[in-house]
Amino acid sequence: MTTWSAWQNALALLAQGALVSLWLAAASIAAGTVVAVVLVAVGLSRIGLLRQAYRVYIWVVRGTPVLVQALLVFYALPALDLHAGPYIAGVIVLTMYLGVLFAEVFRGGVLAIPQTQWDSAKSLGLPPAALLRRVVAPLVGRYSLPAYINVCVMAVKASSVLSIISVWELTFAARQIIERTLAVFSVLGLAAAFYFLMCFGIDRLGRWAEGRLALRGFAGERG
Amino acid sequence: MMEIRGLRKSFGDTPILRGIDLHVADGEVVTLIGRSGSGKTTLLRCINFLESYDLGEIRLDGTRLWYGDDAGGRLPLPESRTRRMRQQMGVVFQQYNLFPHMTVLENVCLGPRFSQDVPREEAEERGRTLLRRVGLEDKIDAYPARLSGGQQQRVAIARALAMRPKVLLLDEITSALDPELVGEVEDVIRSLLAEPIMMIVVTHALGFAREISHRIAYLSEGRVAEIGPPGAVLDAPRDPTLKDFLRRMR
Repeated sequence: MTTWSAWQNALALLAQGALVSLWLAAASIAAGTVVAVVLVAVGLSRIGLLRQAYRVYIWVVRGTPVLVQALLVFYALPALDLHAGPYIAGVIVLTMYLGVLFAEVFRGGVLAIPQTQWDSAKSLGLPPAALLRRVVAPLVGRYSLPAYINVCVMAVKASSVLSIISVWELTFAARQIIERTLAVFSVLGLAAAFYFLMCFGIDRLGRWAEGRLALRGFAGERG
Repeated sequence: MMEIRGLRKSFGDTPILRGIDLHVADGEVVTLIGRSGSGKTTLLRCINFLESYDLGEIRLDGTRLWYGDDAGGRLPLPESRTRRMRQQMGVVFQQYNLFPHMTVLENVCLGPRFSQDVPREEAEERGRTLLRRVGLEDKIDAYPARLSGGQQQRVAIARALAMRPKVLLLDEITSALDPELVGEVEDVIRSLLAEPIMMIVVTHALGFAREISHRIAYLSEGRVAEIGPPGAVLDAPRDPTLKDFLRRMR
């Protein structure tokens, strides 16, 4: 890579790849959050069998590499006669993975609600829907936020794994450019910088949200 | 009126309540005193069914609370009924237990709006009136973390009253407060006594108990060991452990 235009081309491709990565991460974060809410309801159910099922599911998904999961889903879908393509397969894999991580984050948030708050809510005789919407969900949201942001950052990085199942995203784009130009270190360095910027952005967003909550008086609870 | 008969409860092998009998009339203030571990807080929590109990019954205005008939195998009542029963009681806790993500007014309106389906404007009007009564109308939009302990506890009292309960249960409501903040909370309780209200109070503050109570019940080892007007219980105790308890509290 010697000419300025080659650099420009590379940068444009990488930026495009980064956008795809960001889109993959955003879609799976959104879907994973929904999955996690369902999972955590199962995981905290009064029915022992459901709690057991939750635990096994968490073990399996958390205990196997995303890379292996990606390959499994990628090959499994066509075998099931579902020709969804690598992008859908990729989002499914990330959603499964994030769903499990988010579920554990939310479960921790529920367990972090002090007994005194449950007592308070009970003594007011709140119906289940109002209890969930007015008390549990807001508290869990606040307790979970830092860990949730942490998983979101992981989501961006985990999306790079999808290049193995031919999802064209940032890592895939980098490898393409390297094959053409052989500029291994500079291109990988640029790709890493793009990942860093995205993760940094999410981190800042998280800090901003935490700050907003602190303004609403929540942080003082610790003191 | 509240009737408690033969209430028993154990934590594992440790009996906490060994047969409590207590009647509280409408408009009557009864204070429970006793050593820590005597069962007074557990009794209060049983009355609101924040704790289950093993035997005995609690009735409010004749209606049996929390458990179905003993003959029917003594099952807890369905939650929908339990919720309605809880709405007839207001509880104020030692640690205030306000919801940290809600403003003062939202805390006070939560019960009326979502448990009793009172329309928003009406609930807020009710909340404002109560907050005026506890002297916190200027804190309506503040979050609990911005309030002192005494202010938080006054909000908690307003929150309990917002349900228009038949009975108010106060669980050591000044124990967690700095000494200089105790007075403002006690003043709020005093002001409530202008109208007759049924209250069951757990406290270590014997002077305050003497002042507000119609009767004081001394609990010892899970039983009501002595009960009577404040003068009789505090000044002329008969139970030897009560004499000893009062000597230590002085």
